[in-house]
Amino acid sequence: MERTQSQYDRVAAIFFLIVGAFFALYARAVEIGTWNEPGPGFLPFYAGIIISIMAFALFVKSRGKKGPVRPSFFPEAGSWKRVLATFTALIVYNFIFDYLGFALTTFLFVGVLVKFIFPQSWAKTLIVAVSAAIIARLLFINFLETQLPKGFLGF
Amino acid sequence: MDLLNHILLGAQVLFTPGNIFFCFIGVLMGTLVGVLPGLGPTAAIALLLPNTFHVSPVTAIIMLAGIYYGAMYGGSTTSILVNIPGEAASVITCLDGYQMALKGRAGAALGIAAFGSFIAGTISVIGLMLVAPPLAKFALAFGPPEYFSLMLMGIVILIYLASGSILKALMMAVFGLLIGTIGMDSISATQRLTFGLLELSDGVGLIPAIMGLFGVAEVIANVEQEIKREIIATKVKNLLPNLQDWKDSFWPMIRGGILGFFIGILPGPAPVISAFSSYAIEKKLSKHPEKFGTGMIQGVAGPESANNAATGGAFIPLFTLGIPANSVIAILLGAFMIHGIQPGPMLIDKYPDLFWGTIMSMYLGNVMLLVLNLPLIGLWVKVLKVPYPILFPLILLFCLVGVFSLNYSKVEVALMIGFGVFGYLARKFQFEMAPLVLALVIGPMMENNLRLSLVISQGSPWIFIEKPISAAFILVSLALLISPFIPWIGKRRRKLQEKVEGEQI
Repeated sequence: MERTQSQYDRVAAIFFLIVGAFFALYARAVEIGTWNEPGPGFLPFYAGIIISIMAFALFVKSRGKKGPVRPSFFPEAGSWKRVLATFTALIVYNFIFDYLGFALTTFLFVGVLVKFIFPQSWAKTLIVAVSAAIIARLLFINFLETQLPKGFLGF
Repeated sequence: MDLLNHILLGAQVLFTPGNIFFCFIGVLMGTLVGVLPGLGPTAAIALLLPNTFHVSPVTAIIMLAGIYYGAMYGGSTTSILVNIPGEAASVITCLDGYQMALKGRAGAALGIAAFGSFIAGTISVIGLMLVAPPLAKFALAFGPPEYFSLMLMGIVILIYLASGSILKALMMAVFGLLIGTIGMDSISATQRLTFGLLELSDGVGLIPAIMGLFGVAEVIANVEQEIKREIIATKVKNLLPNLQDWKDSFWPMIRGGILGFFIGILPGPAPVISAFSSYAIEKKLSKHPEKFGTGMIQGVAGPESANNAATGGAFIPLFTLGIPANSVIAILLGAFMIHGIQPGPMLIDKYPDLFWGTIMSMYLGNVMLLVLNLPLIGLWVKVLKVPYPILFPLILLFCLVGVFSLNYSKVEVALMIGFGVFGYLARKFQFEMAPLVLALVIGPMMENNLRLSLVISQGSPWIFIEKPISAAFILVSLALLISPFIPWIGKRRRKLQEKVEGEQI
């Protein structure tokens, strides 16, 4: 669906208003201090208020104006699936790689992304995923001596 | 002969097998990421930073600097051959470079880009050598109020040069300051928003933030739809420009080099702005401005020289003031701190080997790039042919491993993914990353200097105006913020913006 830049701006303004209010309120809990002796909450408090004022200004500015029409949020019908799937893959990687070990997780991660984001043949997927896992294992663990988890299988 | 001694010192530092090797790795990696669209020098330096922990600081900086100017070389290759700029700074090279390639003169275009980069790189190294030490002496007089005002001016210049709305860029900068306050307060040791996480008490890591904003977010934006790339130039030959090419390009190179150096000193996307300005100047000075865009070699030589020279200029604020001018330099600043070097005006006096060694490495790096780029163009073209569906999982893998290996922390990886989501959305909403990154880096420094200044002045904010140097910085910042409202300047700024549209530093 096509939306105008002003609609985008209004959403962003609300987001930053919340951010600003959060920091300003939080700062009170850690002591703002005085101008003579600024405390740890001094900058968060004033910066929080400043960003809230700016967000408010952005909101007001975008009201009643249409602004240029932006292309739809996702350029293709299937875009959101690919975006979501890629983010999910990253999050899953972070959760499972101590258990499964670096090499195996890398194989699965690369394999899944190659096969399902822009679908490639199984043969190509396997070749890329296997070689990525092996080369990454050699490069990072053997050559650069990075302390990456080896998992329960021990490789 | 003070200068000669320094140059000798630099050469002594540089010419050890280890440093030469790392310089080579740096420029090689730089060219590689310059060639690859979707992975810029910022992300590449962030990636390699953890691998420099076990070498000396000089070696680390030599390699990381190599990536930066190497990427500028690499970016031009894709612009000329595929009409896809590998780096934002090479966008303008597409105009005439790709046209030259279509006419069968890809070799000459690539060659002049490489020679131009070399000549301009040399100009900026000489400039750096001459300007940095006196500037550092001047900066010795700075106290907390001067530093605070200077950093404020740095952020404001960046915002002024930002494409798009000043208000939104300001918001991103303040947001960066706010994120920068997370962690342990260095004056009172109070934990701020750390939720008891050890990783957060040192503050939000710069590397996870940059990898998220520039690496992950960029890749995610690219998986939305498949991009088809066509590579012309099956064979690139005749890399040496002929005599006429040299005659046409000589002055554009020199002009581009000097222009790029001075623009490079300013904060912001200097390589991009200098490339665009150089193109505009060459077009204006040319006897045949109408022919620009059809394959004029001046349109390649000028901008390519300018963007390379700008990388040298960008080192000046780092070496003299300890303030980063853009996100690449910001990571280098992070590298200094990791290696226990306090950046600032004392840096050149305290660590002459670091400063002069890095400078000399830039000479050597430029020679290496020249040698590397010309015969290896075939290899770079092959790299370009790796399809994106296979490339992007590997880029993401590098981001994951790079961030994890920094502190072996899953929290930081999660932070990177979080910044990835934010960066992806911010792009959609037309917010810029650069002000946020710069503010995140210098935020803690700004905060300390602000609080120290207020303690010195016993609570009077007028201290920033009572000190003359500080007042000058504040005045410039205010002028920049107000100027877009003055009609004729506002119009010019919008024109500049249109040119730099879509830029990510």
